[in-house]
Amino acid sequence: MISIVGPAFSVGLMVSLVHAPLGIEVLRRGIIFIDLAVAQIAGLGLVIASIFLTEASFFVTQAIALSCALLAGLLFSKTEVLAPAQQEALIGASFVLAASLAILFLYDRPSGGQEIQHLLSGQMLFVTWREIGLHAPLYALILLIWFTKPAFRNGIKFYLIFAIAITSSVQMVGVYVVFASLILPALAALNTQHPHAIAWACGLLSVITGSITSIVLDAPSGPVTVVSYVTITLLAVTMRNMKTETKTH
Amino acid sequence: MLRVFFAALVGSFLMTPLTSQAEVNVFACEPEWAALTKEIGGNKVQTFTATHAKQNPHFIRARPSLIAKARRADLIICSGAGLEVGWLPILVQKAGAAVQPGSIGHLMTSEYVPIIEKPTVVDRSLGDLHPEGNPHVHLNPHNILLIADELAKRLEAINPKNSAIFKERLLDFKSRWRKAIVQWEQKSNFLRGSAVVVHHKSFSYLIKWLGLNRVGSLEPKPGIPPTSLHLEKLLQKLDSEPADLIIRTPYDPGDASEWLSKKSGTTVLILPYTIGGDSNAIDLFSLFDRSLALLVGAVVDQ
Repeated sequence: MISIVGPAFSVGLMVSLVHAPLGIEVLRRGIIFIDLAVAQIAGLGLVIASIFLTEASFFVTQAIALSCALLAGLLFSKTEVLAPAQQEALIGASFVLAASLAILFLYDRPSGGQEIQHLLSGQMLFVTWREIGLHAPLYALILLIWFTKPAFRNGIKFYLIFAIAITSSVQMVGVYVVFASLILPALAALNTQHPHAIAWACGLLSVITGSITSIVLDAPSGPVTVVSYVTITLLAVTMRNMKTETKTH
Repeated sequence: MLRVFFAALVGSFLMTPLTSQAEVNVFACEPEWAALTKEIGGNKVQTFTATHAKQNPHFIRARPSLIAKARRADLIICSGAGLEVGWLPILVQKAGAAVQPGSIGHLMTSEYVPIIEKPTVVDRSLGDLHPEGNPHVHLNPHNILLIADELAKRLEAINPKNSAIFKERLLDFKSRWRKAIVQWEQKSNFLRGSAVVVHHKSFSYLIKWLGLNRVGSLEPKPGIPPTSLHLEKLLQKLDSEPADLIIRTPYDPGDASEWLSKKSGTTVLILPYTIGGDSNAIDLFSLFDRSLALLVGAVVDQ
């Protein structure tokens, strides 16, 4: 059993571990759509690599996707300074632009529709231990830098770190899980005393529930994980509200 | 909450039938191969089918059971030739040594039949879903005979103990199948030359076998959804060279064929394509019985 959902579970866990602190920062800055935009732009890079380079190697594909995401990060860090009030609008517009470009690249290709769906909802169950091994050092490095060098949480460095994390995540779990694992735990942790602990607990619970539900219902792991993120966050927020209500009474 | 989940989890595994009499676990990518395996293997095999008739076998999403069954399989039987390229390779990678490419437990049926529509120059940039040729091999009943031979060989090698049973069942199946072919060919003789438009080239083997005349495909290229420009051209072609039927599978989207049917007055016929494609197609014999009855009925109506 572990060997069946093991990789999907591990990748979900890995992603939630790294995304929780990033998500808290994203929510604090109020740039919610940045993860959708950066994930979609990295995905656009993957699409471009698959179309224009036949049989591109793993590292070349990564380099192209990462360059696209970094470019987007760089652009967003500039617009944050130049047009802070319009930042969210610009990010949203970049998302629809990248999504539409991906469709334009793929519409007249066999299985193009399928590739777009994979980009969005991922194929977590098809992730292999090898892929996890290749991406894991990157995640470890991001966590290390995030907690040992707080300077990286600001300005352009934040966007760079963010772009690197999202590029890896989107290939393994898809845009929807990327968004859910960033924003929902952060939402659960909002205005609490230990935001990281709560966000991580929420992520962990969501991934466990998602994996088990996926087995019990025999359903694709990615979409099930998104649903379980939403459910766990709703439960966490409701429980917290009930607690504060009883306190004020 | 979690306890309920764990209980359900344990329950779902206890409920998995402990292979009763079956001695060979077979993972079939498509219903037609599961049906053929049952014909040859009888109650000595336990089959699992990864896709159903209302599903496009080119694309499926990964479910936990898919991986679980692939891991438990002694034999994986699929069409191959790229039909399952989007999901089978990774699934096989996650399965056991017995079903890896090149081993006895890895049977790609298209390797044992004459493949048609193999492009001489493969240009993926032009978009071609099937550089290895057309993988929808099961709709020529003569192919089924060739594949049955190979399947029986594989089953015998995997489970030598029941070798005699597999041999006997193979002979019995082949003699019934040959008789059926004679009947089908007699019955459908007058279909020869009938002009058909297809959606995807899913029926190429059937068309070739029956001597039908394919005048066009709704897809501009295999795997690429119909475009308005392509449909207009097809409509013009049908004006000068009318077709008898538009045929599609139960899983092809119906909008393009409906459009063309309305504009050109050509009847749309949904053929079962595989077992379970409609309520009458319950095994390989009834699949062909039903497909031919539908074709004959529709052409007679013209």
